[in-house]
Amino acid sequence: MRLLSAALLVTGFAAAGVQALAADGVAARDVKMAQHDYLLNCAACHLLGGQGSRTVPPLADTGRLFALPGGREYLGRVPGAAHSPLDDKRLAAVLNWMLSRFGDTTADPPYTAGEIGRLRAQPYLDPLAARRRLLAGH
Amino acid sequence: MSRLDRWMENSSRALARRSGRRGFLARLGRVIAGGTVTGVAALPLLPVARGQASDESHGSRAAAPPEDIQGPEGDPNHCDYWRNCAIDGFLCGCCGGSSTSCPPGTEMSPVTWIGTCRNPLDKKDYLIWYNDCCGRNPCGRCFCNRNEGERPVYHPYRNNDINWCAGAESQVYNCSAAMIIGLAVEGQPEK
Repeated sequence: MRLLSAALLVTGFAAAGVQALAADGVAARDVKMAQHDYLLNCAACHLLGGQGSRTVPPLADTGRLFALPGGREYLGRVPGAAHSPLDDKRLAAVLNWMLSRFGDTTADPPYTAGEIGRLRAQPYLDPLAARRRLLAGH
Repeated sequence: MSRLDRWMENSSRALARRSGRRGFLARLGRVIAGGTVTGVAALPLLPVARGQASDESHGSRAAAPPEDIQGPEGDPNHCDYWRNCAIDGFLCGCCGGSSTSCPPGTEMSPVTWIGTCRNPLDKKDYLIWYNDCCGRNPCGRCFCNRNEGERPVYHPYRNNDINWCAGAESQVYNCSAAMIIGLAVEGQPEK
């Protein structure tokens, strides 16, 4: 049953991701690369469907966080993003894809490599405190 | 007698590889995806077909990874099995489970690490999800320690020394499974 659920997650995940971003004019090959990068670098903890776990927050939260003042910056400075082995361009693509796939929103304008480079140069030393500040509105 | 035993074992393994449920369903999946039924790319098949399903949703068509490999690289209960390229632990197939499922009485840890392994038959890289099974004492059978593309613990997403049962209800490690979650666009950069 677990395997079936995982298979459903992966297949639904792929189809929904492509449809959502294709509508935004993002090339299918870029979506495929972003999905690959997500699976290889993020899904170990955030899981295949972005649902998170007992110790890792669900990515469905990203849409809500992104909409808050400072939310855009927050997503580029959390450790999972800032310390990722992906280069700035591919990390930007993953964040854009992730917001669309899991956060039910669109980064407008999309993250760019330059913006990600600036954000990840200032990683949070205490990401939980940063999250609390973001949610508290200061 | 031991020679007879070996012959029986090899014959049984060969028969299982040719006629096993996994092989049958993989072939069935290829037939379905080959055009007999349209619009079924999202059908959940066995884990070996996930890469195919995921890839086809992008408009391209990729065959399910061939699994009829002869020798240790085709035996999931052998360290040299191609999907075990970065495993570190006891193979669940030797512990009452399989290469894609946990033994009875254990729980699959929800968090894990993910890498790529190359299938020697089609020369393609597949995304492999290494899952620890947790909740019973270490199995103690079929210990493997392959570390292709593995990195130190300060790169946790590429480390197989971590007890990934930390994400499960019980932190007692039993064995490890290696499942395909998709066709990789490229091999992991550490290789």
